Amino acid sequence: MATALNVPPTAPVTTPQQMKKEEEKVDYLNLPCPIPYEEIHREALMSLKPELFEGMRFDFNKGLSPKFSLSHSVFMGPMEIPSQSSETIKIPTAHYEFGANFIDPKLMLFGRILTDGRLNARLKCDLTENLTLKANAQLSSEPHMSHGMATFDYKGKDYRSQFQLGNGALFGANYIQSVTPHLSFGGEVFWAGQHRKSGIGYAARYNTEKMVATGQVASTGLVALSYVQKVSEKVSLASDFMYNYMSRDVTASFGYDYILRQCRLRGKIDSNGVAAAFLEERLNMGLNFILSAELDHSKKDYKFGFGLTVGE
Amino acid sequence: MASRVSLKSKGKASGKGSKGSQEEKSLAQSFKEWSTWTVKKAKVITHYGFIPLVIIIGMNSEPKPHISQLLSPV
Repeated sequence: MATALNVPPTAPVTTPQQMKKEEEKVDYLNLPCPIPYEEIHREALMSLKPELFEGMRFDFNKGLSPKFSLSHSVFMGPMEIPSQSSETIKIPTAHYEFGANFIDPKLMLFGRILTDGRLNARLKCDLTENLTLKANAQLSSEPHMSHGMATFDYKGKDYRSQFQLGNGALFGANYIQSVTPHLSFGGEVFWAGQHRKSGIGYAARYNTEKMVATGQVASTGLVALSYVQKVSEKVSLASDFMYNYMSRDVTASFGYDYILRQCRLRGKIDSNGVAAAFLEERLNMGLNFILSAELDHSKKDYKFGFGLTVGE
Repeated sequence: MASRVSLKSKGKASGKGSKGSQEEKSLAQSFKEWSTWTVKKAKVITHYGFIPLVIIIGMNSEPKPHISQLLSPV
């Protein structure tokens, strides 16, 4: 066997390596653990859906110890109110948000409170080595505007399963399994008591070191396909296709993500006529400058934002 | 006509049924009320107490930060 691999020196160098890879048999009992079901579109979302904002944003993160940090955040700008008509209604608002984070390998607590009294809290706790409890809540002083959700995750050797409970009698469960070292399949089912809706969905993800392709179908009418190609260490390109077969809504988007030494630039263009870009520039250690732009030519809605982030 | 008949029969049935299952109904109802009261109190406690809880846990973690670090802007 060894002599077969000793190719003459004039042959290309990749040949012995390629032959070695083919000989490595896929060990189906030793597959890697798959990505959690809700992060199945993670690479595509990171490139195509940056946190675009309008107005001015200032974030200050102060670390009091390696595990504990406080954050102060100021935002001034128009906030969009969801409206029934096609016109977008924007109301200028300004708020200050205070936050505290505690990050431990076993317990993570994340809390943010705004000046209008809204609390956004997240908790992640490792109950055992494989079982994790995650909870998040958005509480507000207004009645019937608070939401909470708790999730139990179980991580197996090559599968993950999750059970979710939410307020308003919301139950959900999902399961994802690695089928080959590159391919994983998953499914989910949910039931919303308050809206009397239930749904089932399936997802598949194929990833290699250079590319990720995912597909998701749900009984709510959603079909989502995405493809991300890592062209080099610094550049990745992503494309996304979403189709709702109930409402006959189609959206395709294409975006890029440049991770350079001093900055991270993400841009995308949409089939709805929306072009967006998001730049994070590292001015100094711990000082980041953010620029965000979103041009919606069909709705004539142009949003520009700038901000500064201080701290890690 | 049909609605009047159905209302009468409903009234009769509830009259008969309430005497027998009054205890069960009140138990289920009191359980529901108690759980609603608990959820409401838990919501208020979380709303006011979550951030102080995170701060207390953080201030007691190693290495212990000083209280002046909590308030100063640097």
